Amino acid sequence: MASIISRTLRRAALDSRGQLPPTFLLPWTANLSTIPNATEKSDVPPPNTAQPLSQKQSILQHSMPKKSETSTESSEPANTSETAPPLPSPAAGASGKNAPVEISPQVREMLPLLRAQGSHYISAHIYARPYLLTQGDTLRLPFLMKDVEPGDVIRLDRATSLGSRDYTLKAAVQTPKLKSPTMQTVEVVDPTTGNLTSHSRVMPEGALGSSPGAVQAPHFIPHIAKGKFSYIDDRLFVCRAVVMGVESEPMRYKEKTKRRQRKVKTVKSKHRYTVLKIKELRVRSDEEIDSGLLLE
Amino acid sequence: MSFFRVTLMRSAIGLPAKTSGVLKALGLHKRLRTVYHPVSPDIAGQIFAVKELVDVQEVDQRLSKQEMKELRRPESGFWVERRAAEMRR
Repeated sequence: MASIISRTLRRAALDSRGQLPPTFLLPWTANLSTIPNATEKSDVPPPNTAQPLSQKQSILQHSMPKKSETSTESSEPANTSETAPPLPSPAAGASGKNAPVEISPQVREMLPLLRAQGSHYISAHIYARPYLLTQGDTLRLPFLMKDVEPGDVIRLDRATSLGSRDYTLKAAVQTPKLKSPTMQTVEVVDPTTGNLTSHSRVMPEGALGSSPGAVQAPHFIPHIAKGKFSYIDDRLFVCRAVVMGVESEPMRYKEKTKRRQRKVKTVKSKHRYTVLKIKELRVRSDEEIDSGLLLE
Repeated sequence: MSFFRVTLMRSAIGLPAKTSGVLKALGLHKRLRTVYHPVSPDIAGQIFAVKELVDVQEVDQRLSKQEMKELRRPESGFWVERRAAEMRR
């Protein structure tokens, strides 16, 4: 065990990253929230924090090799966040689509560590499909992207996780899939007759919004896609990709036949795919986040 | 003004023709179709006739077909920052 710790120490000492404390002093895990959301009620209160329940959790967790676990138990970082003053919310134009929400002080606290740690990866979602990317990656999308041409610069702004070797910024916990109350009826003994043999199905109490904290489906839309994933605040990072061009597969031929007919129909298909290259992936600094959307 | 939001969860295959007639009157032609009807006694009776097949909730406003389609469409996840055509100019 001593040799393992000393190896960790040596690696930490040799590390060129100046701002970071040695790896074994870094927090083991810290729960953070990016998106304060009054409608969502989380069942599990966040550990080590004194924040209200009505906040979605976004976890910036520190994943380290298990060997050095013994030396990290004492460091509990999240307590300092209680004293951190609430920071001003960024300018209104900061995020393109959704209304600006305040970034929680815990994310503010941990983000510089993630930012300092070199090359990052991102799990970016394009049309709700995740792509695990780093800077310099070439991505052949499984479809032809409409309305772009080679040379266009696009920004990927929906991501579920963003991380480096030791840190991961995860998106807030997804709200459970909601059903409308009629699909959750419960069987009760009929109260009117007082007879144990007569049952009736009723809608659960509070399902129709009688209690303010009750979570209920706003509208039951089958196959709803909006809000299926919760994403990281797009002010926290910059992911820029360039459209490299269009790739195409070899022509495919398929012979279609029907019974008792000599006719053979040959169907041709040749799909085209857009190729992207990730030019830039970085975590924004505090000043950039505060000053709203920068052109860089 | 409030509305019934009715979604057909189970199909009427194998049921009496009267049931599928009621569904047709409600505008439910296939499974997972959602329709909105104003709250009124006759609509409530129609829903009651097919209550085993549908999901019902009373809502304040109705969504149009386009709005429902928009909710089904996933977010694109990207936006074009700079077009090559602009840079050539």
